[in-house]
Amino acid sequence: MKRIMLVCSSGSSTSLLVKRMQEAARKKGLADVEIFSTSQADAKNHYDSMDVLLLGPQVRYLYNELKKTLASKKLVLDIINSRDYGMMNGEAVLEQALKLMQQENK
Amino acid sequence: MEAFIGWMEKHFVPVAAKIGSQRHLVAIRDGFAAIMPLIIAGSLAVLINNTVCVWIPALKFLTPVNGAIWWGTFAVMTLLIVFSIGYNLAKSYDEDGLAAGLVAVASFIITLPQAPEGVGWGFIKINYLDATALFTGLVVALVATEIFVKLIKARLVINIPGDVPPAVGRAFAALIPGIITVFVFGILTALITAMGGTSLYDIILKTIQTPLQNMGQGVWSAMLATFLITLFWFFGLHGANLLDPVMNAIYLPALQANTAAVQSGAVPPNLITRVFFDTYSHLGGSGATLGLIIAILLVARRRQDLRNIARLALPAGIFQINEPVIFGLPIVLNPILFIPFVIVEPILTLISYVATAVGLASTTYVAIPWTSPVGIGAFLATGGSIGAAIVALINLAIATIIYIPFVILLDRQKSKNDLDTPDLK
Repeated sequence: MKRIMLVCSSGSSTSLLVKRMQEAARKKGLADVEIFSTSQADAKNHYDSMDVLLLGPQVRYLYNELKKTLASKKLVLDIINSRDYGMMNGEAVLEQALKLMQQENK
Repeated sequence: MEAFIGWMEKHFVPVAAKIGSQRHLVAIRDGFAAIMPLIIAGSLAVLINNTVCVWIPALKFLTPVNGAIWWGTFAVMTLLIVFSIGYNLAKSYDEDGLAAGLVAVASFIITLPQAPEGVGWGFIKINYLDATALFTGLVVALVATEIFVKLIKARLVINIPGDVPPAVGRAFAALIPGIITVFVFGILTALITAMGGTSLYDIILKTIQTPLQNMGQGVWSAMLATFLITLFWFFGLHGANLLDPVMNAIYLPALQANTAAVQSGAVPPNLITRVFFDTYSHLGGSGATLGLIIAILLVARRRQDLRNIARLALPAGIFQINEPVIFGLPIVLNPILFIPFVIVEPILTLISYVATAVGLASTTYVAIPWTSPVGIGAFLATGGSIGAAIVALINLAIATIIYIPFVILLDRQKSKNDLDTPDLK
């Protein structure tokens, strides 16, 4: 099972994108991917069970500090592309997440 | 305009990033986020008491239930936030959040007077736990947790000679950070009393919290706050999230004072509260972007891409979520939309302030979820004021009118597909 977590201020706007990503995953026939969104405050409770953490571009200022915090953990961190975020492009963001996991596994 | 945006990207955006990731501000922000459900529960209880229970006398038996709920939630919000901040700050250092939260609560109670004026020994006044103690709570929670975590990180070791099992020494060492932390606050409290002061609560309330709150009640401060929030958003940064620690610290006590007043049958004292902004200014999200969406649907004719985004963003916009327009349109770094986007909220704030001051709309006193739609939010936040709902809807119309000329300009422009959000990596 691959777990992807999307994080923004309260997990609301990312939840919109999560829905799109789940649809994209279903279309691709990916059954073993779990995608969910949460608030910045809650994110820290899930670091150990996640494979990918994607930040909404509006909270990208969390990136540098998070990178330090997550240095010792296995999950990969990245920021969602602004344009894809605005267009709620689930396919592109899913692709971004899958690529990150592949890179990590190499 | 280009030069200005370039300058801001270079100087303003990095500062914003620093603020946004500053550990203690993040702990305060996350601390508030964690107690928000309880604050809304307490608010809901007071709301029911003052609406449904008044309208339907048969439901009067619910009044004591709601009163009790309010007492244990919103009325003691500082007690809740002290634990929550201790927990979150310790977690950010990857240390034991539960232990830190408990030490923070203990340290906070240590600083409170044991014999409040007029009642003798053995009482904790409700004010010591409610929002008037908020700044004391913030300071104590942050300092106590810092001391506690630093001492844990120092890995104090106690060498007990002889055949004492090592585990005994370790257990003892684990106690030391907590013991030292509470002693620090014990000593501080005794010092304040010995020097003739009343309590840390009194000192912080008089010198810091009250002046800041009075400033916050000025309409210019409120307008400035909304301006800053939208300015951050223009650069693609979550302005509301960045300013959350400040907005909550200043305007949540104002809201709590109003709720307490209503609960005890008095007139709510504060015109501007935490929910004032969600109900009257952030219409459809920061920058009153629901007005922008409506403006596009009304006047954009040539550019289908604008209309597509507006349609995509409308359902979320109704519930105050506007990332699709912010990043999809985009508003971010869009020179044409800069002016309406940053002036619309201060204008709406001024209008709503005046409308509340002259009594067109009732004062807000209920904490509502920020996702409440325009009008409904105002109706709920004011405990059922139709006038407030109308003011919110008029605000939406004004926001739409402000955006219309700029949308016409945008409609004449060629569509542009590239968006370079200032990078912070």
